[in-house]
Amino acid sequence: MSDGKHKYVGQPVAREDALPKVTGRAMYVHDMHLAGMIHAATLKSPHAAARIKRIDTETARNLPGVRAVLVGEDLPYRLGLYVQDKLILARGQVRYQGEPVAAVAADTLETARAACELIRVEYEPVSPVLDPRNAIKPDAPLVHEDLHTYSYMKGVFAPKPHTNIAHHQKIRKGNVDDALAESDLVVNEHFYNPPAPHVPMETHAVIAQALPGDRMEVHTSAQSPYTVRDLLSHSLGLPQSNIRVHVPYIGGGFGGKAGIHLEPLACCLSRASGGRPVKIVATREEEFGTLPSRQGLHTEITLGVTKDGKIKAFKATYVWDAGAYADYGVNIGRAAAYAGAGPYCVPNCFIDSFVVYTNKVFGTAYRGFGHLEVLWGVERAIELAARRLGIDPYEFRMNNLLREGDKTITGETITAGHGRPDLCLQAVAEAIDWGTPSAPAEKGKARGKGIAVLHKAPAMPSYTSCSAIIKLNGDGSADILISGVDMGQGTYTTLRQIAADELRIEIDKVHITWECDTAFSPYDWQTVASRFAFMGGNATIAAAQDCLRQVRETAAIALRAAPEQIACENGEAYVESDPNRRLPYDRLALGYTFGNGNSIGGPIVGHGRYIAQGLTNLDPETGQGLPAQFWTYGAHGVEVEVDTETGEIEIVNIATALDAGKVLNPKLAREQVIGGVVQGIGSALFEGLIFNRDGHLQNGSFTDHKIPTAKDIPIHTRQIFVETPQPNGPYGARGMAEHPMISVPSAIANALVEAIGVDFHTLPLTAERVYTAIHTERTD
Amino acid sequence: MIGVFDYVRVGSVKEGCDLLAEHEGRARVFAGGTDLLVNIRNNGVSPDLLVDIKGIEPLGKLTVDAPDATIGACVPLNVIGENAAIAERCTALAQAALSVGSYQVRNRATLAGNVANASPAADTAPALLVLDAHVAVQGKAGGRDIPISELFLGVKKNSLAADEMITSIMLPSHAKHMRSAFIKKQRVRGHDLAVINMAGSLDQESGALRVAIGSCAVTPILLSIDSPIDCSAPIDELVARIDKIAQDAIRPIDDLRGSAAYRRGLIPVFLRRLLTMLVEREGGE
Amino acid sequence: MAKLHDIAVTVNGELETLSVPAGMTLLELLRDRLYLTGTKEGCGAGECGACTVILGDRPVNACLILAAETDGKEVRTVEGEASAASLSVLQQSFIDAGAIQCGFCTPGMIMSARALLARNPNPSDEEIKEAVAGNLCRCTGYEAIINAVRMAAKREAVTRQ
Repeated sequence: MSDGKHKYVGQPVAREDALPKVTGRAMYVHDMHLAGMIHAATLKSPHAAARIKRIDTETARNLPGVRAVLVGEDLPYRLGLYVQDKLILARGQVRYQGEPVAAVAADTLETARAACELIRVEYEPVSPVLDPRNAIKPDAPLVHEDLHTYSYMKGVFAPKPHTNIAHHQKIRKGNVDDALAESDLVVNEHFYNPPAPHVPMETHAVIAQALPGDRMEVHTSAQSPYTVRDLLSHSLGLPQSNIRVHVPYIGGGFGGKAGIHLEPLACCLSRASGGRPVKIVATREEEFGTLPSRQGLHTEITLGVTKDGKIKAFKATYVWDAGAYADYGVNIGRAAAYAGAGPYCVPNCFIDSFVVYTNKVFGTAYRGFGHLEVLWGVERAIELAARRLGIDPYEFRMNNLLREGDKTITGETITAGHGRPDLCLQAVAEAIDWGTPSAPAEKGKARGKGIAVLHKAPAMPSYTSCSAIIKLNGDGSADILISGVDMGQGTYTTLRQIAADELRIEIDKVHITWECDTAFSPYDWQTVASRFAFMGGNATIAAAQDCLRQVRETAAIALRAAPEQIACENGEAYVESDPNRRLPYDRLALGYTFGNGNSIGGPIVGHGRYIAQGLTNLDPETGQGLPAQFWTYGAHGVEVEVDTETGEIEIVNIATALDAGKVLNPKLAREQVIGGVVQGIGSALFEGLIFNRDGHLQNGSFTDHKIPTAKDIPIHTRQIFVETPQPNGPYGARGMAEHPMISVPSAIANALVEAIGVDFHTLPLTAERVYTAIHTERTD
Repeated sequence: MIGVFDYVRVGSVKEGCDLLAEHEGRARVFAGGTDLLVNIRNNGVSPDLLVDIKGIEPLGKLTVDAPDATIGACVPLNVIGENAAIAERCTALAQAALSVGSYQVRNRATLAGNVANASPAADTAPALLVLDAHVAVQGKAGGRDIPISELFLGVKKNSLAADEMITSIMLPSHAKHMRSAFIKKQRVRGHDLAVINMAGSLDQESGALRVAIGSCAVTPILLSIDSPIDCSAPIDELVARIDKIAQDAIRPIDDLRGSAAYRRGLIPVFLRRLLTMLVEREGGE
Repeated sequence: MAKLHDIAVTVNGELETLSVPAGMTLLELLRDRLYLTGTKEGCGAGECGACTVILGDRPVNACLILAAETDGKEVRTVEGEASAASLSVLQQSFIDAGAIQCGFCTPGMIMSARALLARNPNPSDEEIKEAVAGNLCRCTGYEAIINAVRMAAKREAVTRQ
């Protein structure tokens, strides 16, 4: 980590990608046309659970313009990031309403859709299992009868054969039963988060082409090009280098595009069409009901505290509604367990986190990776405990937040480099003037303040890595190649800043190749988990330093000095003791040529990498281990105004503090927080998928599922950054991409306790539910 | 392609009605299209032919000459809502018009289309009901004029024959002391369908009060308020009286936007807000 | 073969003559026939505003306009916002205010804002919100977008003086 003077790191440098986006020239997969491209549509199951008895595709195949028709029986490939429980198209049975059962590729999208209409499927519906609390019972009908035959990531996950349990993560620390018995107050509460959709503005889109020699070329709106390559390789049985994945600009991901979704189907359709490029673009309705969402969560927390407000015991059961397939869900269940007691010092902890199959659209990664859902319960339970003890919720939290020397529930020791949740909480409390009651509201309105804390570490395998290549150009500029994806979060800009500072050149001379291409961009694990700036930053630093090593090597010979005597500044290499002997990079970048023509050195290409340091798997019985590369702590303070006659909530003021370590770009960081907070408000007040008793999605469109608009934003927002340096982070930075969303619902619900004296246990906090709670004077 | 259909732009109402008649219910009038095209896209309807009436010049006219205001079938909702005379004379309608969909949608959606679509939640319907609007309808055989209340038959069912189209909606002039207002409850503050919507008109001199409620029955409902109100009576009394009538008249259901119980609970709340606006005199009470 | 309609539509000042099927939307015409892919499809049903263009002088959702009805009309898209020489003040303001993240809602936002400033050169924040409320954004939380439009209004006022 460099600690020299920073010309660019820490500055509000503008994005390079703003220009193509603001002129409408940025190309997304939605916008791409390839020569010979054809279009695909899918036929989806109308039932939440059914056997497929017969599929008749004859008429569809004969429709003019149809190039390929596929059903599940045609595709003997298994998919699954962690548990291989999924097929490309349903085979033999369907497990959720909206699940694709057949696909058609045709000359036009209209033809493909018309052909889908002509496919006859005979279903035998069975009773779906919809509530994970029922699905987890021993006698529940099985969503995956063959669970025991699936391969899975051993040592990390453990699906339970002959059950609906895809994974069970445990934390066992100390003796919770004794500690509860010794507690002065025991709080036992249930909480619920519904499944919720990501709603990226660009729906999923992919163009795949099967090429000669069993090769595949894929353009996809995805967050993780190498994961797409890896999973295609694994499921189709092709060598990785036979598969090339491109990711151009993408219109948001939020975790929904983290893995692999439409790509395998597009690849298979291309093969079946004789190698035509096949484009699949999800409709908005498919985005809601066919593509995966955020898992729902049922939470039971039992919290034991002393009368002076110290946490003695924390017991929780998290029952995750994974939907029909495990996808990222099992990892969310794992992460939820090890983060599942919040950023508090908990001496005795007992957590069971179950990931349970149901017959609904499946869950995947979603910004926050389970932490918004978990902290909904945790921060509400903490609030309840504090209030029942008559202790100020701020004091209660301060009294229990993790501090240097404390151990987490997985046995990790908190160090000075961990970050300061207490400073975050203090900052937001000051920002909303906690301790001073809200100004009196006008008649029919009620105001209240609330606080909540948050934490998250990247939930990633212990071998997660990133690499970067920096090429110097003949004009002394630099190109960065990296395959993390900038989907608007701004990481590429921060990498340019880092590279410019490390290389000692003007930032205008540093470019990052926007499109990720697995043929050229070096490996990065996935753009998820708030780890890209951290690992990409470290990899970029290493690559830049490698470039400078090569610069110094060539310059040393050219300037007749030892490499150690060469310094770099302002795009030039010079002899430190005799600065008149100097050469600009453009005389070195492609090698150096002496006056007589002799040449030395050569093109300068630097490479760097970073692999997660010191992470361990979690003990399957106790959950002890080191899962976290770093923890980012934070807090929100919010003031709400409730219209007590209608139940509507206005966010008057929301302050958010994050200990993101060194803020690499304050402008981008603020933008990220504001956006995340509004997405959090969406989860808090409006969002959630609604299913009827048959497991049919009721609100799978913008008409029926609302997200915040420009008129729904808070009156005031504030973003505060505490900058405790992360020792192994680039310039001391740690990740902060997901965090702005986490605990927003908790903070708002805590404010509602002040405002209207109602304790909410279920999201979203719709006006109707607030109204009903006020008027029936009960908790919800 | 949003659907498979043919398209024709007609130059006259007669041409349009002839085509509607010829296609025996398989043709649709196309003005703003913000309901029609969405319905086609979602396979709710599959017409053979769209008859674009936006080229019929008189249908694009909004006139507020005394005594009546006449709003042609093709006038977009934004134009109606932003018209100063409409905003003053038919306040409820202006407010209702500006509450439909988003700004972009309102540049296309029309008043005639909003009522012809006959959603129980149609925002303009309660306003038109309390403003005593009537609808000019043309068919192949001739024209007729119907009170707005006779347009709504049920959920997405209007009383137009297959060969008929609305050509304009007229709002009769009102007494100087007439005030009207509109109020709508949504889930988000941005564009949304109504949980409930409500309009009222009050002759502040005579106390004649009209209140209409939408999204609480299969059609928008005009309440039967037989006798005038006393504008100087305490608001609580007025609300109680009208609420009783409303609760008896409405038949709300549970749907995605709200439950029947919530809707019933909101009625007195919005009645109070509406009546407070209506009884308020210029320069205070 | 469906009947085609001949249209002559002016797009960003250029007259385009095409034959289109009745069921083709203006959005499809722009993206698939004219390769003006700046205008995006977010929902196809008039709910998200990603396809906002200016028809005549009004911002509308192109997904709910038929191509066939644009004969004789003028359409402006994001591709027409910048001049050959430079970005518009509005575009530069979006950049300076940090109003762009994934960029997918950006073209629609630009067109809604452009139409707003044309009819109301000095909008209040409430008026700005009303004008862009029909444009959904999932990334920015809208604050920077509102700031951008306010900034553009001020700057355009200065250049008009």
